[in-house]
Amino acid sequence: MQPGYILSMAEPTTAGPQFDAEALPHLDALYRVALRLTSDPSQAEDLVQDTMLKAYRAWRQYRPGTNARGWLLTILRNTFINDYRRRKLEPVATDIEAVEPHALYRHVEEVDPEGAFFSQIVDDKVLEAVDALPPDFREVLVLSDMEGMSYGEIAEALHIPVGTVKSRLFRARRQLQTALYQYAVETGIIPARETHHG
Amino acid sequence: MGDSINCREAHARLHDYLKQELTPELAEEVRAHLEKCRPCFKEARFEQSFLVMLATTSRKTSCPGKLREKILTALRAEMERG
Repeated sequence: MQPGYILSMAEPTTAGPQFDAEALPHLDALYRVALRLTSDPSQAEDLVQDTMLKAYRAWRQYRPGTNARGWLLTILRNTFINDYRRRKLEPVATDIEAVEPHALYRHVEEVDPEGAFFSQIVDDKVLEAVDALPPDFREVLVLSDMEGMSYGEIAEALHIPVGTVKSRLFRARRQLQTALYQYAVETGIIPARETHHG
Repeated sequence: MGDSINCREAHARLHDYLKQELTPELAEEVRAHLEKCRPCFKEARFEQSFLVMLATTSRKTSCPGKLREKILTALRAEMERG
């Protein structure tokens, strides 16, 4: 029997089966998000492990049956900011003056109206392009469009308004689409649009 | 109901529609517009390809077995510590 158990019968100190059942299914999502945040597999592994240990220790703060994935991702994200991001000397602030590309669809609707080129780009190149996004944009795109979190869940995890989630997503998607398009043209997946027409 | 939004309004809500982030009423307005507006429908299909590709690419990565084992071992050690 564990010492803590006798002291607090009402509040078990071990997370045990419930932790296993609610937290462990999200290891894949945690690992994927960690990979995108760190852009480094070994750091991603450390980050996921740190996150799980912190989650385990804080398990009593989690309300069973609520959003375990969101709760875990919040811990992962805070851990990343506090313990990992500083090491990378990555620019934290998003450059709001950065050149904003136009909507890609208007540009390619004649050569690839269905956007078939997106799925012809190899996964590694897609992930490279995601990793090249500014950190604030990358984060919302990964959580929303790669992990399927709702805008509300993301706002809560990142402590930002839903409107900020949406505006970052809008710009992240545009930048990513433009980067993927440039890659697709460079590698001949789709032809470059003629510069003169009409 | 849901018969009167224009292309600009539909365009502004397109991603939210595809991500199922709209209220049922707003979603119905966009759906109704896409049904009768071919250019907007085509643009929606293009954006959908992008979103589907991202979700599909993401799902191909999972937590490595070794890491899973390492974490379970660390959790067990933590648990025994009490």
